[in-house]
Order: sequence, then structure tokens, then C-alpha cells
Amino acid sequence: MRRQLPTSPWLFAAPGLLVTAAFVLYPFVSTVVNSFTDRRTLIPGHFVGLANYREMLHDDMFWIALRNSTLYIIGVVPALVLLPLLLALLVQKHIPGIAFFRSAFYTPVVASIVVVGLIWVWLLDERGLINSLLETLGASPVGFLSDQWLILLSAMAVTVWRGIGYYMIIYLAALANVPRELHEAAAVDGAGAVRRFLTVTVPALRSTMVLVAALSAVSAFKVFSEVYLIANPTGGPAGEDTTLVMLVQRTGTGLSGRVGYSSAISVVVFVITVVLMLLVMRADRKDEAQA
Amino acid sequence: MRISRRTFATAVVTAALLPLTACGSGNDSSSGDASGKIQGDITFQTWNLRANFKPYFESLIADFEHQYPGTHVKWVDQPAENYADKISAEAAGGTLPDVVNVSPDLAAPLAKAGLALNLDKDKAAAKYQGEYLPGAWSSTDIPGLPGTWAFPWYLNTGPLFYNKALFKKAGLNPDQPPKTYTELFKDGLQIAEKTDGKVATLSNVPAIEDFGRYGVQLMNKGGTGFAFNDAKGVELLTKYKELYDAKALDPQALTATPESAGQKFLTGAVAMNPGSALDLKNFKTQAPSLYKNIGITDQITNTGHVNMYVMGLLVNSQSKQKPAAVAFAHFVTDAKNQMSFAKKVAIFPSTAGSLDNPYFTKEDGTDETRVRVAAAKSLKTAVNYTPVLFSDQMKTALQQEVAKALQGKESPKQALDNAVKACDQLLKQG
Repeated sequence: MRRQLPTSPWLFAAPGLLVTAAFVLYPFVSTVVNSFTDRRTLIPGHFVGLANYREMLHDDMFWIALRNSTLYIIGVVPALVLLPLLLALLVQKHIPGIAFFRSAFYTPVVASIVVVGLIWVWLLDERGLINSLLETLGASPVGFLSDQWLILLSAMAVTVWRGIGYYMIIYLAALANVPRELHEAAAVDGAGAVRRFLTVTVPALRSTMVLVAALSAVSAFKVFSEVYLIANPTGGPAGEDTTLVMLVQRTGTGLSGRVGYSSAISVVVFVITVVLMLLVMRADRKDEAQA
Repeated sequence: MRISRRTFATAVVTAALLPLTACGSGNDSSSGDASGKIQGDITFQTWNLRANFKPYFESLIADFEHQYPGTHVKWVDQPAENYADKISAEAAGGTLPDVVNVSPDLAAPLAKAGLALNLDKDKAAAKYQGEYLPGAWSSTDIPGLPGTWAFPWYLNTGPLFYNKALFKKAGLNPDQPPKTYTELFKDGLQIAEKTDGKVATLSNVPAIEDFGRYGVQLMNKGGTGFAFNDAKGVELLTKYKELYDAKALDPQALTATPESAGQKFLTGAVAMNPGSALDLKNFKTQAPSLYKNIGITDQITNTGHVNMYVMGLLVNSQSKQKPAAVAFAHFVTDAKNQMSFAKKVAIFPSTAGSLDNPYFTKEDGTDETRVRVAAAKSLKTAVNYTPVLFSDQMKTALQQEVAKALQGKESPKQALDNAVKACDQLLKQG
């Protein structure tokens, strides 16, 4: 056997490393460096130390965006952990025509977010379908697109509606691995459907649920499209529905974009996301140790 | 090959510090003159014009290339949305085209970054000054950075459309639409009252142009700070708050975009909406019942001047073919070609004397010519009320503070003070 040259592994890894360095590492390092400068879109900046981070502390819009991104996690994650699981339990049964329902539930995942957003805007408009129905029933129209909290709730509803199909597929794969004997044994011991769900299905899917929680929490924290489409680029009335990623976009783009400040917000989003992931993983390990 | 930890650490630190070396280097405007032989390849970028005017621009470019053998013009067109982002990416990446379609507020940051040719200081370009309306030539003059940073191209001013049927329903004379803000507020409140809040009069919150047309001084005399928080500005916002409370301003106005506002007008949810002659075609096809009841009037103004939008062609100061770029920008914007473009679409030439052409002064009884003649007449005294230094971030800051005032979260005075403070801060940051 020929002896391998010490450089061989590096040569094999080089294409991947180069792509990663150019499109992941460099932008990341560049963002961190920019966060310590006052760089504008067309004007190279100067080193300003922690000034951008200090400004963030006194920027009301940053705190509003942080509040909204956090509320998004609180509103969306429990729904995206539970609803797809219940849906997966429904569609895992082998009955005629079930493939149609599985495809139907998955359709929102592959639909264009812009189209989905526009359809929801039409539905939720002051004179849209939902308000017309409400008026027919004698109720007053609801300001889904004019009230800051209803805008946020509507955006959450769209995120949940779009995400259900995706996480349902993950649960379906996990459910296929739950041993049938466990269910049979529990049934023999007299456990009903609810009890079997709580004592067999949920423990068996715990790791998957943690994974879904982690994935949905990270994507909820970084939400942009749904809120942008429903609240409009202004971020809702007085910008009260702005999320952190919307703030990054609004602050850092355009010919007068504040790239330095926007980069500082990006760094904060990155740190919070990492902390979030670590917390979820830690909670998972703790649960495993207790189990 | 073995890489020591020290080498690796040095590489990482170097990579991290490399971008910092770019900081503070500045961008020097090229001082080269545009005199010289007109030849070479140039790129021309327009703003959402290919879809409707492809044959016009292809023929225009062919004429230029024929007139100046040895030149080649590559035409690129960008979509309407996020045009500023597109230009900023090009400018930051060093790929800004030689001739770029800009509005004055887009020209300002490019000029500040040294990427726009100052036409006043360039011998080859300055000689064309007399061909344009004085106001149009100076439309890109920036406080603190005097000069002409783009060739004036077409001008536009939109009429105000109103729904006569809704006016009638509210007991108003459909042939006497409001002309001033005082009349607008009175009619708006009446429409809201008579329709039980179901029909709003407007679907947009006041923007900087509204403050200008109301007679508010937008910036201080030196152009070093904003001043729209004076008593007149507060008065305007207070009146809008009354409209909002009475539902004379659409409840979704706080998050409205021009598209969503137009949609509201089409569906009869609002009684008035600004637009252009192009909208008449939309009304005809998308809302025939509205078209039958459409009323056309001048923009609401207290100053006697309507707002004017100016488009220009900026010449990239870093262009390698500056003589050809200047010649082409002038060619596109000269009187003959602007007139020919104006006959294809409802725009108005910025060249001296063009607005006196019978095409802009004589009506033939159709709505189209009525709008055109009225707009051309008002353009003669129109003002571009958007300060060239008013960036997108400033527009957002004003819109957000206005929304807070309308919601009652802040008093109009407090909201405008905050908006001015935020805009001044952004102005200071460059």
C-alpha cells in the first residue's frame, strides 16, 4: 500500500474549506469586525469600539424588536411542537386516501412565502374574507392588519400554518420507529389512547420533540418574511411589529444603510441564537439524565 | 504539511483584521474630465422601464451608437422594488454602471461617496446647463456639497383622483373637490360622518411632501438640520389625528404602502388617492364602475405649488469611458428625446421650453389630455418638496413618529420633535 502524503487530506478538504471560508467564515468575521465600526453602505467606517453596542442599549426600536422576536418564540414554538405531532398521529394511519391529506398538509411548506403572505393579507384585510364573514354574523370587523398585537398574532398563525407540514414529516419518520409492542403492552395493561400517547408516544419521541423545539425556536427568533409581508416593510404601526432580523435589514440596507450598527445587531442575534440552542440541548441532556 | 498553532492563530487574526484595513480609506472622486473622444463600451441602467418601453430604449441606443461610431451601450433595467438596495450593492461592489437612472435622494449618497460626476465642474457636461429648466438642473444640489450630480431627465407630478359617487353619497358637490388642506379636512370629516366611518377620505399618513405642501419649513436655511416640527407642522399632524380618530383616515393607513393605498381606492374604501395618468388605464380595466365616477383634481396644497418628482441620469465619476457616458446621458435627456419619450408615457420633459409645446397646452376633450395639460401647467411652478438629504431611514423615522401621534401614544409636538431629532442624528451620521 502506498503511503499517504501528509498534505492529501487538506487537498481533499480544500474545495469545501474554500467555499466555507468565502461564504460563511469571511462574512461572519466581516460582520463581527464591522460591528465595531461606524461603516455606512458607501462610506468606509472607522473603529468606534463598543459604541454600536452601547447605542443598542438606548435604542427603543432594538428593545421592541427583541420583545417581538421573543414573543414569537413563545407563541410559535409550543404550537409547532404539539400540532404537527397530533397531525402526524392522524395521518400515520394506513387508510385509503391518506396520501392526499399528507400532501395537502405539506403543501404550505413548498408554497412561495410571498404568495402565501399576500393571500393571508387579502384574507385578513379590513374588507377581506374573514372580516366579511364576521360582518355577516353581525360582528364588527377586526383590525387584523392595523392593530400591532393582532398583526403579530396573524404573522404567528401564518408561521404555524406553514410549519405544521414540515415538522409533521419529521414526526412521521420518528413515529415509524416507535416499537408497536410498547403500545400493545400498554393496551393489554388497560391504558387508553390518551394514556398510551402520554406514556408511550411522548417519551419515545422526546428527542424528536426537542429537535423540533430547537429548530422552530431558532427559525422563530429569526423570523422575517411573514412579519414583513403582513406588517409591511414599516414593521406595523409605528414599527411596533418589527423583529430583530427586520431591524437588521432596515438599518443596514439602502444607500445610507448603517452597516456598522446593523452588524452589531446581527452579532447579538447570533449570540442569542447560540445561547438558545445551548439551553435546549442542556434541557435535553438534563431530561435524559433524569430518565 | 503541518500547520503550527501559532501560524493558524496568526492567519485567523490576520483574516479578522483585514477588513479593518479598508476602514477610513475614503473614496476619492475621480477628477478626470469628460472631454475627449466619445467612444468605448458603457452601461446604462434604468429603473423599471424595460417592461413597457423596450422598443423606445433600443431605438434610442441604436441612434446614439449610429451618431457616435465606436460606442456600444449595454442597457440593464432593474425592477422597481428595492432599487436603492440594488444601487448600493453595485456601488459597494465597484460595479455601478456608467450612466444610472436616479432620483435626487438616491443621487445624494452617491455624490457624497464620490461616485457621481459633478456636472457643474466638468467642462464637457457644464456646457449643457442652458438646455434644461433651471430648477431641474439644480434639483440634485446638496446642502454642503453644491453641484449638479445628475442630468435632469423627466419630471412628473400626479393629479389627485377622487370618487365622485362617494362624494355625492356624503352630500358633497362632486364637482367641487377640496383644493386646500382646510377643505380636505372639512370634507374628510363629513364623508366619515355620513358613511358612518365606512369610507375614509385618505389612506396614507402625511409624508414629508405633505408637510411641504402645507407650508411647513422642512429644513433650516443652511440645510444643516430639519425644521418640520414647527407650529405649522404640529398643526398639520393635529388635523390628521382628528381625521384618524373620525375614521376619515383609513385604519390601515399606519402601515400602508402606495400599492395598498391604490387598492383601497379601487375597492371604494377610500374616496381620494394620488396617482398619475397611468392609473386611468388601471381604473378602466380593473374598476369600470369607479372609472365612470372618477374625478380628477390637483394635488392638495396650501402653498399654491404642487409636488414634483424629478428623475435624473447620474454619470459615474469612476467611469472608464466618461466622455461617452456624459454624451449618452445628455443624448437621452436632450429636448428631442425627452419629447419623444413624453409622447409614449405620461411624463414631462425637464428641458427648457418643452412644456410650451402644444402637446402640453392643448386639450382634445379626453381625460388623458385633460390630466396632461393640467399637470404640465402646474409643473411650471411645482416644487420638489422631498429634501435631497431625506434618506429612506429618515422617511421611516418620520412615518413611525407620525403613527405614534395618530395612535395617541405621543402628542403631535412630541412626535415631530422626536422625528426631527432622529432625522438630524441620521443627517449627522452622513
